[in-house]
Amino acid sequence: MEIDTREILRYSGFRGASPDPKTAEMIEELKKEVELCSDPKSIYKEVEFTKTEESITVENMTFHSKKLVSHLKNSDRLLIFAATLGTPSDIMLRKYISSNSAKAVLAQATLAAACESYCDEVCSQIAKKELENGYYLRPRFSPGYADLDLTSQRELFALLDITKRIGVYLSDNCLMIPTKSVSAFIGLTRDKDCNINSCENCGNTECEFRRT
Amino acid sequence: MKFKEKLGKEMLICDGAMGTLLIENGLKAGELPEMWNIEHPDILYKIHKQYVDAGADIISANTFGANRLKLDGTGHSVEEIITEGVNIAKKAAQQADRDVYVALDMSTTGKLLEPYGDLPFEEAYDIFKQQAIAGEKAGADLVLLETMGDLYEIKAATLAIKENTELPLIVSMIFNEKGQLLTGADVKTAVFTLEGLGVDMIGLNCGLGPKEMLEHVEEAVKYSSTPILVNPNAGLPECVNGVTSYKVGAEEFSDDMEKIAKLGVYCVGGCCGTTPEHIKRTAEKCKKIALSPVKQKHFTAVTSYSKTTLIGEKPVIVGERINPTGKKKLKAALVENNMDYIVSEAVAQADKKADVLDVNVGLPEIDEPKMLVRAIKTVQGVLNIPLQIDTSDFEAMEKALRIYNGKALINSANGKKESMEKVFPLAKKYGGVVVCLTLDENGIPDTAQGRIEIAKRMIKTAESYGLSKDDLIIDALAMTVSTGKDNAKVTLETLDYVRNTLGVNTCLGVSNISFGLPSREIINTAFFTMAMHSGLSAGIINPLSDMMMNAYYSYCALKGYDDNCENYINNIAKVEAVASGEAVDLKTAIIKGMKAQSADCAKAMLENTDPLKVIDGYIIPALDVVGQAFETGKMFLPQLLMSADCAKAAFDEIKLKLTADGEKQEPKGKIVIATVKGDIHDIGKNIVKVLLENYGFDVIDLGKDVDPELVVETAKREQVKLVGLSALMTTTVANMEITIKRLHEDYPECKIMVGGAVLTQDYADRIGADFYSKDAMGSVRYAERLFTEI
Repeated sequence: MEIDTREILRYSGFRGASPDPKTAEMIEELKKEVELCSDPKSIYKEVEFTKTEESITVENMTFHSKKLVSHLKNSDRLLIFAATLGTPSDIMLRKYISSNSAKAVLAQATLAAACESYCDEVCSQIAKKELENGYYLRPRFSPGYADLDLTSQRELFALLDITKRIGVYLSDNCLMIPTKSVSAFIGLTRDKDCNINSCENCGNTECEFRRT
Repeated sequence: MKFKEKLGKEMLICDGAMGTLLIENGLKAGELPEMWNIEHPDILYKIHKQYVDAGADIISANTFGANRLKLDGTGHSVEEIITEGVNIAKKAAQQADRDVYVALDMSTTGKLLEPYGDLPFEEAYDIFKQQAIAGEKAGADLVLLETMGDLYEIKAATLAIKENTELPLIVSMIFNEKGQLLTGADVKTAVFTLEGLGVDMIGLNCGLGPKEMLEHVEEAVKYSSTPILVNPNAGLPECVNGVTSYKVGAEEFSDDMEKIAKLGVYCVGGCCGTTPEHIKRTAEKCKKIALSPVKQKHFTAVTSYSKTTLIGEKPVIVGERINPTGKKKLKAALVENNMDYIVSEAVAQADKKADVLDVNVGLPEIDEPKMLVRAIKTVQGVLNIPLQIDTSDFEAMEKALRIYNGKALINSANGKKESMEKVFPLAKKYGGVVVCLTLDENGIPDTAQGRIEIAKRMIKTAESYGLSKDDLIIDALAMTVSTGKDNAKVTLETLDYVRNTLGVNTCLGVSNISFGLPSREIINTAFFTMAMHSGLSAGIINPLSDMMMNAYYSYCALKGYDDNCENYINNIAKVEAVASGEAVDLKTAIIKGMKAQSADCAKAMLENTDPLKVIDGYIIPALDVVGQAFETGKMFLPQLLMSADCAKAAFDEIKLKLTADGEKQEPKGKIVIATVKGDIHDIGKNIVKVLLENYGFDVIDLGKDVDPELVVETAKREQVKLVGLSALMTTTVANMEITIKRLHEDYPECKIMVGGAVLTQDYADRIGADFYSKDAMGSVRYAERLFTEI
């Protein structure tokens, strides 16, 4: 798992500035600690789906979201996906939250970068395989994005048996535990111009975490 | 013959997959398999019967997820589903012409326990208790608690099953390729923890196929004195066209299982993807393997939720710093309920590679059972180092052992009858290694012989409670050499005899040797080395003392415990780097984020400077420099926080000085902060807290996932002028709005500031907040303005 220092700095609010030596040293330490304590796991499967103008249905479960429908407008195939860095990484973060707030911010950023990077690695392997079939991957679309309600996690978790397979749990409020986890829909499309990354795609150009 | 009589004497065969066969029979994704106990008992009977015919000695009722969380909303009770499930299995078992045992199958609640997840330990206990009682009543022969991934959940379940039923208990866990549980425990840690809890059989199941599982089975057999069960999947799962399948066929599977069975395993079967055919061939090959009795292993081990400290060969370090005796800052922290201070002491000792951390919170003015539980929960929530539960209050000891996530070091029992009668049964029930003080009703013997006699008596008594000498550590007691010239000699002789002749591990509170002497560290260090050489297994010391740690690393290198002197070299290098640090003033130290120097500078200045002058002349100017640099984009959040931590360290010194002088710093004002209901992301809120405290505000932190009512109640009770709320998710901003509304209704004179990633000024206005803070400094500036106006 490659963790990009620039991404860590971006998540820590550095807005393109370079870190001081002390911060840089902490980031290097944290990258090693994250490598050591993370236990990344992922799972995905292709599902049959039907769609209306405002929802998609997989097996016997319906997901209401116009944005998801439009996200999938050129996709005739669909994957459901989940990944996690594992519980020990959450515990590491808790340690810094209660003992060293600077390190907590950097650890949170390092874990976020690690999690994204792991998801990207898994997805690029899938993409490589799908390219042989002439398909491209759309960006991941997760419960809680736009108008896809976070409670749709429950259905997604049932479809993929996520808790049993990779050890991610849902809290009563549908947040994932460990926190460094991702669940998503991934559309497959034959349209190759349709696979831009999500950050640059976002309308909020003022965001302090925007990729520069 | 009862199950327990057969256990460990003949190879037992478990059944194979249930879920896989239910899917073949039409079970849909997301459908609860346990509902089939009501809807399709005939299919279940058929599956059980196939396994019985294949040669299974143990069949698992279809009750894996039959707990009240999962059955909620189905219209069926736990008791009903379990009774039906057990009955169907019993019907199939009775068809056999041999003993076939029906296991009440149990597994995870489906939720992760606190503090990592949101299920309280005692609630998990209640859920398991309900299942276990229903299973015993329905006539199950044993409990198979399987596919478990968290030692804490296993502990809750084990206590629930053992305290409420007479059923034998097998606990089986799911390990990954690296040999770790979901929450990080390795095989040996799991084995030691489960043995401590007294389970009847320890298993590995699911997750891996037999080939991948083999090395983990070897590891389990190496450490376990309890029979081992192995139920692998039919290989690793493969996903083809959206369908999960397992590819290892019955012939290959059973060949692999024969190899596994011969490693010293007492029960084999299958998990996901295995079929009656897999079990039939496995039974044919494994049933005839002759078994010898389980070998007793001799390890003295304590564990955390994920890690083991083995006590025996090389001496280990027990960090002594979380003990209020003679420590003003810790005393103050305990009285104020300040858990962050305890965490920082724990983390500092962990950074110095302590192997075990002592936790003692005994103070006359606090409720020790409550505080000990709180401290243990806090420390085990952030660190994976095994803990020593240190108390003379038996109630506190039991409560702490109950919620401790692992097998603890228990400090202590002594040779008095009452002490042994109280402590040994607790160690037996919850698991633990007991520190045995060599003193009794007649006090502390002043000869080695006298102490050795007490040690012998304690070893013998412990045995009558089912504790072996592997479960004990004898404390030879260090008495200060300033009051008796032979005191050290007596201790060293005791150590030598106990360790080398009795073959029992030893410990010492090393620094007790120097009470009343000047420059104690010097003599402590010499004594520590002598003690290790005489047979000390565990030194209770201050790991932040470079001199003591130097002695330790030197001893280990000289004794051949340190390959290539690697630890020695790494440790010495660090000491030199610290020594060569340059001198700076307090303001610079804070701006540059140098924490140790900030505390040192503040302490030195306070010798001859008025505390107020230190604050106004150095700390506040430093914070202003940093705060402005942050606001103008010249410094960034981590740097701002490093300085904040430094300022906090300096303030701690000032607080100590003021307390010593009998004065108190007046806070600028009181503020309640909370992360709203439903939200567990609290880094931002914690940052705001650190900064507000820096600027002299008294912050009441209600934590995360906080109920609106609690916020209102606390704000009113404490008469605060300002409440800060954070929310990170669009979904939880709704709860922020509710909280604001409730505050406005019930306590309109209070102002509310809000912050969090998804908030904007516009949004904050819409939900009725008085102030939107775009970053942590913003909240400080607002609080300063607000409290000056007042």
